[in-house]
Amino acid sequence: MFAYTIRRLLFAVPTILAVVTVCYVMVHMTPGGPFDMDRKVAPAVLANLQAKYHLDQPPLQQYLYYLGRLLHGDLGASFKYPDWTVNELVAKALPVSLAVGGLSVPISMVIGIWIGAVAAVRRNSFADYFVSAIGNIGNAVPSFVLGPVLILVFALEIQHHDIGLLPAGGWGGWKFRVLPIALLTIVNVATISRVMRGSLLEVLTSSFIRTARAKGLPERTVIVRHALRPALMPVLSLFTSIALSSITAAVVTETVFALPGLGLLIVNGAINRDYTLVLGLVVLVTAIAVLFNLIVDLLYAAVDPRIRY
Amino acid sequence: MLKSVFRFLPACALALTATQAAPAVVPPNVQLAADQTLVRHYGSEAASLDPAMDESVQDTYIDTDLYEGLTRSDAAGQVQPGVAMSWERPDPTTWIFHLRHDAKWSNGAPVTAADFIYAWQREVDPKTASIYTILIDFFQNAKEILDGKLPPSKLGARAIDPYTIEIKTIAPTPFMPQMLSNPVLAPEYKPALEKWGGEWTKPGHLVGNGPYVLQSWIPNDTIVVVKNPYYWDARNVILNKVIWVPIDNNDTAVKQFESGQLDMTYELPPGSYNYLRARYGDQVHISPESANYFFALNVADPVMKDVRVRQALDMVIDRDTLVKRILGDGEIPNTDMMPWHVAGATTIQRDWMAWPMEKRIAFARKLLADAGYNEQHPLHVTYSYNTTDINKLVGLYVLSEWRNKLGVQGKLENQEWKVFATTRHDGNYQIARSGWSADYNDATSYLDLVRCGTDANDLQYCNKKVDALIAAGNAEVDDTKRTALMTAADQAAMDDYPMIPLYQRVIARLVRSYVGGYSDLDPMDREPSQDLYIIKH
Repeated sequence: MFAYTIRRLLFAVPTILAVVTVCYVMVHMTPGGPFDMDRKVAPAVLANLQAKYHLDQPPLQQYLYYLGRLLHGDLGASFKYPDWTVNELVAKALPVSLAVGGLSVPISMVIGIWIGAVAAVRRNSFADYFVSAIGNIGNAVPSFVLGPVLILVFALEIQHHDIGLLPAGGWGGWKFRVLPIALLTIVNVATISRVMRGSLLEVLTSSFIRTARAKGLPERTVIVRHALRPALMPVLSLFTSIALSSITAAVVTETVFALPGLGLLIVNGAINRDYTLVLGLVVLVTAIAVLFNLIVDLLYAAVDPRIRY
Repeated sequence: MLKSVFRFLPACALALTATQAAPAVVPPNVQLAADQTLVRHYGSEAASLDPAMDESVQDTYIDTDLYEGLTRSDAAGQVQPGVAMSWERPDPTTWIFHLRHDAKWSNGAPVTAADFIYAWQREVDPKTASIYTILIDFFQNAKEILDGKLPPSKLGARAIDPYTIEIKTIAPTPFMPQMLSNPVLAPEYKPALEKWGGEWTKPGHLVGNGPYVLQSWIPNDTIVVVKNPYYWDARNVILNKVIWVPIDNNDTAVKQFESGQLDMTYELPPGSYNYLRARYGDQVHISPESANYFFALNVADPVMKDVRVRQALDMVIDRDTLVKRILGDGEIPNTDMMPWHVAGATTIQRDWMAWPMEKRIAFARKLLADAGYNEQHPLHVTYSYNTTDINKLVGLYVLSEWRNKLGVQGKLENQEWKVFATTRHDGNYQIARSGWSADYNDATSYLDLVRCGTDANDLQYCNKKVDALIAAGNAEVDDTKRTALMTAADQAAMDDYPMIPLYQRVIARLVRSYVGGYSDLDPMDREPSQDLYIIKH
């Protein structure tokens, strides 16, 4: 397994390179440039800006220059925020995203798996209908509606000395994290519990479960020891997409709660045509995706004894 | 409060002096709060805290706290002495500024003329790649230096002695003292830049000369500034700390205001004025901004090149309904390229605005008929805009006006912001959403919209008569005559209908009742923190 892990990590290098190359071409082909503004920038000023950021060089030379910097771990200077390098911007935003998304993911997994399993085991009971309702609401109501509702209730309606029970947004101590984590968790739980319920229901109709029951094993043992682990496989497949969307692409959550995280940075980077910022974040997201995929693959082996590397 | 008196006498040099700045004025019956901390929302994240790299209103807000130019703009938008105690204009294109001797940097070092010259030469240096050079372009040789044709040392500004600066301009620039209050023309502390390089604007490195000094800066989170004890007028600065909060979404900002986290918002969400006014009363502030919203007409377009078509489209729009029923946030109807009360010109009013709408429609129909358009051969137009709710709303309203009143077949075409900016600059449109906010409070800032070949002119419009009037106005040293010439230039351009002005924008925000010193009088919306204070509550 160690060799497999090393091999996968080595494969990450060409993967990241390929993604960066494709994105590099795409961002440079996108209409509108970093210095296209409401007011036309004077030609001399534009020429100076292009020279400063090496945009006056041939495209291949620009690309090689970028790659050279990238290999040294330098993501370059932000076009929009000249006082900051992309490394600095990422370093400031990543802890915020990890603190919110990173915490929401394990909470969501635990809750989602648990209530999904309960719903499957008690099929067609009140608990099942309740979980299904939660899942449907979580999937049907968009974050940009659910988020403001949370703010309305916990920051505006419930107040103490004219200050909301929880902040309406911004970043700071634990109080600032409760509502964003809650929002992400509600959305994630809706998906995870639905998948878990369906998966466990399917496993429970399998012949090996019937065999286990025929052998006279208690129902609890049947579910916990025999059904749960194979039922987790589809949920594990969800892990990467949920983790990525919660940590690196929680744009709506970050907008609603004004969080200085990665999602907002990447959207603003794209809007501003901040090439280096977008590419730097693409590198980061790709690296995280590769890492999470590897973790999931290793977890497959832990969950399913038939899988060995 | 003393206001600097500014005028020009052609016969002789007149020393213009103002010996005392205008401090934050606290009425005698007002008790100040013990905690003088203000939390201000300021829109999107500041791009830079380097004055030479300023590019947005947001940058200007923060830099107004951190730096002080030769002059400063007070809460009411009046020019006050800054680092310069007084100034004079010995000839139409020369200004002499006399610096105070007690101005200091935030590390205690004296602010001298050399600091200004250094900052200005750095700003025009092509290596710096400043993006906002509109103001320094008025200095002699600035454009040639930006073009790389002259070295930065040739800029038309020099230190006569450590406390005297001479500025040579390319044309008479009566608004120079007002322009110099913009922090983009503030001094810079050379030793800090040399020591820290690109890191010089970081907390702990940044040395400023403004009323506040940078304490912390977390991108997209907060910029915290605290009172600068070395500021020459520190005794009149009341707020001890200002926390600037960038929030992209105005709805989010309003919620933070409602939850008690913010003392001031930057803007109000579109269409929220009535609701917020009912809920917060006088804490909702609306005041005119020196900025216009208009439709740009591409006069090179085969359809739009006909002035009769342009006039017909302009005449039938009911602007009162637009601002009262559709927008409803206090906007002011306008038919001129310049907003109301701009300095250096008189805003013109279309004579047909006084006509009944039926008469306007009849006249406009005749114009269109003369241009060859009728029910069998209706006029088709395409309106391009960058995707926002407001732009779409205004577009739908105006197109419905044209359809209902003139039978014009309109098409909306929305584009992503950067794409739209290129489309408009390149003239690849027929009718486009546009707007303009003044860089300095003078008519010339707006007349650049119609002057031949300027970077601001997206209209493809050029009228030599208009240019001649602007040139004559620029050369004129008598204020009254200059105003008449600029107004005539405005009138001549608007007679050609190169744009359809719709309304003057407003500054709309929530301000806590305990925030004192806030003024609704500055159309440039600087609102310096040093003029504000927290009332005991």
